[in-house]
Amino acid sequence: MRVIENVVTLSNAPIPQDADNVYFIQVDQTKCEECGECENHCATGAIQPKDGNDGPRTVADPATCVNCGQCLVNCPYGAIYEGVSFVDEIFNALKDPDTVVVSMPAPAVRYGLGEPFGYPIGTYVGGKMFAALRKLGFDYIWDNQMTADVTIMEEGTELLHRLTGKIKKPLPQFTSCCPGWIKFMETFYPELSENVSTCKSPIGMLGPLSKTYGAEVTKARPEKIYTVSIMPCVAKKYEGLRTEMSDSGFRDIDATITTRELAYMIKKAGIDFKSLPDEEPDFDLGDSTGAATIFGNSGGVMEAALRYAYEVVSGKKLNDPDIKAVRSHKGVKAATINVPKFGDLEVCVVSGLANAIPILEEVKQGKSKYHFIEVMTCPGGCVNGGGQPLFPDVREASLLRSIIARINRRFNMRKMG
Amino acid sequence: MKEIIKVTRRQFVKIAGYTVGAALYSWNFAKFTYAAVKDNIATRQESVYVQDTKMKVRKSQDSPAVKKIYKDFLHEPCGHMSHHLLHTHYVDRSARVKQLKAKGLKLKV
Ligand code: SF4
Ligand code: SF4
Repeated sequence: MRVIENVVTLSNAPIPQDADNVYFIQVDQTKCEECGECENHCATGAIQPKDGNDGPRTVADPATCVNCGQCLVNCPYGAIYEGVSFVDEIFNALKDPDTVVVSMPAPAVRYGLGEPFGYPIGTYVGGKMFAALRKLGFDYIWDNQMTADVTIMEEGTELLHRLTGKIKKPLPQFTSCCPGWIKFMETFYPELSENVSTCKSPIGMLGPLSKTYGAEVTKARPEKIYTVSIMPCVAKKYEGLRTEMSDSGFRDIDATITTRELAYMIKKAGIDFKSLPDEEPDFDLGDSTGAATIFGNSGGVMEAALRYAYEVVSGKKLNDPDIKAVRSHKGVKAATINVPKFGDLEVCVVSGLANAIPILEEVKQGKSKYHFIEVMTCPGGCVNGGGQPLFPDVREASLLRSIIARINRRFNMRKMG
Repeated sequence: MKEIIKVTRRQFVKIAGYTVGAALYSWNFAKFTYAAVKDNIATRQESVYVQDTKMKVRKSQDSPAVKKIYKDFLHEPCGHMSHHLLHTHYVDRSARVKQLKAKGLKLKV
C-alpha cells in the first residue's frame, strides 16, 4: 500500500481470471466521515452505507461497481482507495533488458499529467509525456491516439453498414470506448448489447496491434513485448484484464496504470518533468490526428466519427472539421446533422452514466429516434476520468464540501421520502 | 464545558454541518461549490479543443499512419483482419447482480 498522487493504492496486480472478484475501488471504513458525497457520483448505487442506514460507506460487491472511480475523485476525505496497481510490475519489466516495453497513453492523459508537476489545470504536456516515457525506459513510444483514429475507421464504417443494412444489426449504434459504460451495459442492460458497436476501444485495439503489426514493424518477438496501457481511468484496469482480450495470441494488454500512477513513476525515477524537451511518439503506432485527441472529451468520439462519416457518405470534403453541436460538457446533448446523400443523422451524446438511463429505456422500448449515441461514464468525458490527478479543491475545502454534501443529502432524502 | 469541547472529529463535522448548514441553505451555496469543480473540467476540455486545431491532420481518414496500417496490414475497415483483432463481443453479466438484489441489496438501477 502507498499513496499515489493523493490516492491510497494497494500494490495488487491480479490475473485476468480474478478480475470479477477484485475491488478496484473500495472505502477505508476508518476514514469515511459518512458525508454521502460519493453516492451523488455513483450511477449504479454500488457505494452505500454498509449497514443499510447512515454508517461508513462501502462498495457493496464488485459486480455492482463499474470501476469508474468517480466516487474516489470526489470524496472530500480521501477515504476511497484503489485496489489494483501494476506499478511494481512495470518497473520490473522496464529493468529487464529482454522485455520490449511499449507505452500506450490515452488522449486525456496529456491534459492532466502536467498538474502533478505544477502546471495549471488542463495544460497540454504531450511532448513532455513522450520524452518522460523514453526516459523511463520504454522501448517504443506508441500512442493510443493512433488507434483512436483506427477506431473511427472501424466504428464509422460499422455505423454506415448498419445504416445501409449491409450488416443486420439494430440502430441506434452505441459507442464502445468507455469501459465503465460497457460493464454497466453488460450488467444492467444486456438486452441492448446488439446495439453496441462491436469495435474494441482504442486501447483494446492498440494492445493486439502492438503484438502483431507492431512486432512486424520493429522485428521484435511478440512474446517479448510487454504492453502498458496508460489511462485517465480506473475502469480501464478491468478492461485490460478481460479474458477475451487475447486476440494477438498473448495477453493483449499486460498492464494498465492511471495518469496519477504515471506521474508517480516519473517522480519516483527522479525525472525532472518540467525541464524535458518536447518529443514525438514513434510513427507506426504513434502518429495521430486532431480527431483522435478529442476522444478525451464528451462528444469527441461523436465529432471524430462524423468527420469521417460525412465525407464517406456524401463524397464531399468537410471543409470545417469543427462540429460544435455535439461538444458536451455534461448531461445529454442531441443534434441533427445533415449529411448530403443521406439526410438527417440523429445523434446523441451522453455525459455522465446516470444520464444514460432514460435514453437506454427509450431504446429498449423501441422509441429512440437516434442513429448513433455516445456514452461516457465520467461527466465531461475522459479528461475528468477517475484516474486523473485530483482537482485541488476536492480535498482543500473538505469541511465545507462535506457540510454541503450533508445538506444536499438530507435535502435529497426529504425529496425522496 | 469540558464535555462540549470533547467531541470527536466526526461529531464536530456533524454539529458544524447542522448549524452552518441552516445558514448556507438559502444562499444556494451548494450549487456554487459544485460549479467550481465543473469549471476545472471545462478547463481541461478547452485545452483539448485548442490542441485539436493545432494538429497537422484533423480527420482520422487523412492520417498517414492510418493509411499505412490499412495498406500494409489491416487491408480494409471491418474486414477479416479487423474482425479478428479489433472487434469483440459482450458478456451478459446480469445474473450476479440479480442474485444480490434477490438477497435484498438495493441499487439505483
Ligand atoms: S465521500 Fe463521504 S461517505 Fe463517501 S467515502 Fe468519502 S467520506 Fe465516506
Ligand atoms: S467506482 Fe463508480 S460504480 Fe464503483 S462505487 Fe465508485 S462511483 Fe460507483
